[in-house]
Amino acid sequence: MMDELELLKKDWQKKEEHLPKLSFDEIYKMIWKKSSSIVKWIFYISIIEFLFWIAMSFIPMENDELTGPGSKTFQTVENIVEVLGYLVIVYFIFKFYLNYKKINTTDSARALMKKIIVTRKTVMQYVWFNLGLFAVLMIIVFLESILYNAEYADLSQRISEAGNPILIWFIVGLLLAFTIVLFGILLWLFYRLLYGILLKRLNINYRELKKLEV
Amino acid sequence: MNKELEHKFVTELENNQNIVHKVCSLYTNDRDSHNDLFQEITIQLWKAYPKFRGDSKFSTWMYRVALNTAITLYRKSKRRVKTQDFDGVLYKIKADEYDDTEEKQLKLIYDAVKQLGDIDKALVFLYLEDKDYSEIAATLGITEVNARVKMNRIKNKLRTILNP
Repeated sequence: MMDELELLKKDWQKKEEHLPKLSFDEIYKMIWKKSSSIVKWIFYISIIEFLFWIAMSFIPMENDELTGPGSKTFQTVENIVEVLGYLVIVYFIFKFYLNYKKINTTDSARALMKKIIVTRKTVMQYVWFNLGLFAVLMIIVFLESILYNAEYADLSQRISEAGNPILIWFIVGLLLAFTIVLFGILLWLFYRLLYGILLKRLNINYRELKKLEV
Repeated sequence: MNKELEHKFVTELENNQNIVHKVCSLYTNDRDSHNDLFQEITIQLWKAYPKFRGDSKFSTWMYRVALNTAITLYRKSKRRVKTQDFDGVLYKIKADEYDDTEEKQLKLIYDAVKQLGDIDKALVFLYLEDKDYSEIAATLGITEVNARVKMNRIKNKLRTILNP
């Protein structure tokens, strides 16, 4: 039996006459249309993510007057964390921009896919960094409020007067940790969904090409 | 982007549009998707055109961008149309050109190719376009040896689909 593909190949060139023919004008109109490639989608979503987290950082975490000798240290720590946060954001945006610029349709299929995946990973790292930063700030603000905020002084007073203060502090800490983890899981699910849909096909194809090279 | 460049690009694409149509016909199943993909490939070609230096043939350069768009960049639309609907474009063969059995067999092979995965289709496409293994390998970013191995696997896969 003849090779199936050889048979198809013989026929392949003959088919050209049945292909659609677009005119110069039809093609000319096309070059001004907007692309809807996944690279574009990833670019837009990433920009929205950057903006979202930058906006989040402007939400004041605490406004109350703090009292007590240790509060200054806390505020310094908080400020340092914030400044570091901004520096890291600038770094991520720069890296994202470089990755995005490197995406090139004339690369080999494998190289192109890899670059898109790397670009997306940068944004994911940025999101996780922000989530970590968010958790750290939440803990700092929480400790700060409990220890130095006049409003909460009453609360800590009552806890220490209660029967088992260590247990209660443990529960409070646990609740805080739970909140942070829950927030993290929700966000993770959201991103899985978002990029899962967008990059499913690309990931499958990339894995297939990668598998070949092992 | 000046007028001259636009004109040159569109003329070249118009002359070589068959390549893009063939890619579209392999990767889509209905006319709307075909046109969508054609448009996206055109946009990607145009975006990449200023960097095209002419050290390779326009058509050779097109293969990469067109396949990359089909495999990687293009987002399939939600519309699901039965495969038969559009096979017509490549399969409108005049009855007198072929005897019945050969025509039927070709149709079956073509249907089998359409069932392959994105990467497999790309290999088959380049093979049908008479590209050698070094070019197939370079286009996909794998080694020549692996391109050959993969091609053999695809042939076996097609055989399995055709003779279940």
